[in-house]
Amino acid sequence: MIRSITHPQTRAWHRAHLLRHRRMWLIMAGVIGAVLLLTFSGYFGEVAWLTLCDAVLRTTYRLAIAYSIALVLGALMALVVGWSPFSDILFPFFDILQNLPSFALIPFFIYFFGFTSNMIILFAVSSIIWPILFAILTAIKSAHKDLSDAATIFGAKGWRRIPYYLAPLSFPAMLTGSIVGIAIGWEAVIGAEIITNVAGFGDFIKEAGASGISQALVAGTLVILIIVFVINRLVWAPLLTESSKRYAE
Amino acid sequence: MPNKSQQIALVLSRVSANFEDGKERVLVLKDMSFSVPAGSFVSVVGPSGAGKSTLMRVILGLMPHTSGDIVRNFSRPAMVFQNYALFPWLTALNNVAFGLRMAGMRKTEARKTAKKKLEEVGLGHLENHYPAALSGGQRQRVGLARALAISPDLLIMDEPFSNLDTITAESLKADLLKIWRSYGITILMVNHLIPDAVEFSDQIIVMVAHPGHIKSIIPIDLPRPRDTRSAQFFKEVDLLTEATRAIS
Repeated sequence: MIRSITHPQTRAWHRAHLLRHRRMWLIMAGVIGAVLLLTFSGYFGEVAWLTLCDAVLRTTYRLAIAYSIALVLGALMALVVGWSPFSDILFPFFDILQNLPSFALIPFFIYFFGFTSNMIILFAVSSIIWPILFAILTAIKSAHKDLSDAATIFGAKGWRRIPYYLAPLSFPAMLTGSIVGIAIGWEAVIGAEIITNVAGFGDFIKEAGASGISQALVAGTLVILIIVFVINRLVWAPLLTESSKRYAE
Repeated sequence: MPNKSQQIALVLSRVSANFEDGKERVLVLKDMSFSVPAGSFVSVVGPSGAGKSTLMRVILGLMPHTSGDIVRNFSRPAMVFQNYALFPWLTALNNVAFGLRMAGMRKTEARKTAKKKLEEVGLGHLENHYPAALSGGQRQRVGLARALAISPDLLIMDEPFSNLDTITAESLKADLLKIWRSYGITILMVNHLIPDAVEFSDQIIVMVAHPGHIKSIIPIDLPRPRDTRSAQFFKEVDLLTEATRAIS
């Protein structure tokens, strides 16, 4: 279950995160080595690589779309709620909503959208949105009053407040919210695919695993591991480094 | 020294303000009346909890007042904060350029002006540093440059020196007096150090807490530049210390 993200973006936190990433490199080198070894030894001879690639691409595509929608929607909701005088009323309402076990909602999504790719995307949005929304909301609510006053005095009023003050203010929170959200998103998309049998990575490993541990299952797991790692290294790690440089106290 | 023919930058008459704390309403400012002549240096002193910062927020319109009138004869107020309140996502230069950009100035021009202001406060070489990489004194100088950049007609300073060490504060104070003389802006400063208030001010407003109101307004007529070691200076400091001691 998702918990609201309330921890501050401290330097120590970022440092710990970066250190973890460095260790991840070592582990990943091991994983890639194992993949190569297994490939050369002919272990993956039976694997339908094209089907696997197709499945992984479908899943990644769904996650990307779901994340984009969740980011825009979550950020918008956080801005509206954080800004409005009703935030104190709406906050507990969101807290209850985010604590709903997301997979309990899947029958509703299936009822309204059928066994479709769009259903999976929307279902994933409903999981990814919470950590993003809460992280940004917390960042806006907990910002120092002086900083908000400074923004007002020096002219960031009305709609300009969003691009010039609220957006950069909540950038580190958006980052952590996104990292948590995407981790949950993989779970949601793959889980939904397993449940609904809609073509994708979830469906692929379900088929592959139906008759016990097969080469295809191992290959699929390794591929997804590598994709997650690459996204981490190429997208999140540089953003975290930048954020820790700028937002350190 | 303000003279009678001078314009008045700010007038407060019987201004009161409340804090809404859930259901409870706390009176934080009661019947505040004073005026600030344009181009003068006015200090507000008083114990913590006297509502000095609230007064500044009310004057700037960041917080509503519940009764009384405020006449604001200024159009471009700026503020320098106790905790600097620099935007951590912007470099020193972009922090200074922020107000100019918001006022619609082109990027290149805003950066040029900002660079000049940074040089004026002695930080031209640190333009590309983020606030996190600056010391307290440097941050406050960036804060001052950010305020000066928009050519303010009223500069509000909320205990700008209280987070700085003595040596840093002294050099910043000297620079501030220089800036005040050359710009001719009106400065309203919250201060908790009486000698500082006497050194800078044309007029000192002494506030009392629970609820925050004015105990007395003391004009300082010492000639400028002020000799902080003269007998007259010490006399004024003594007088003011007595006035504040009676309330705390």
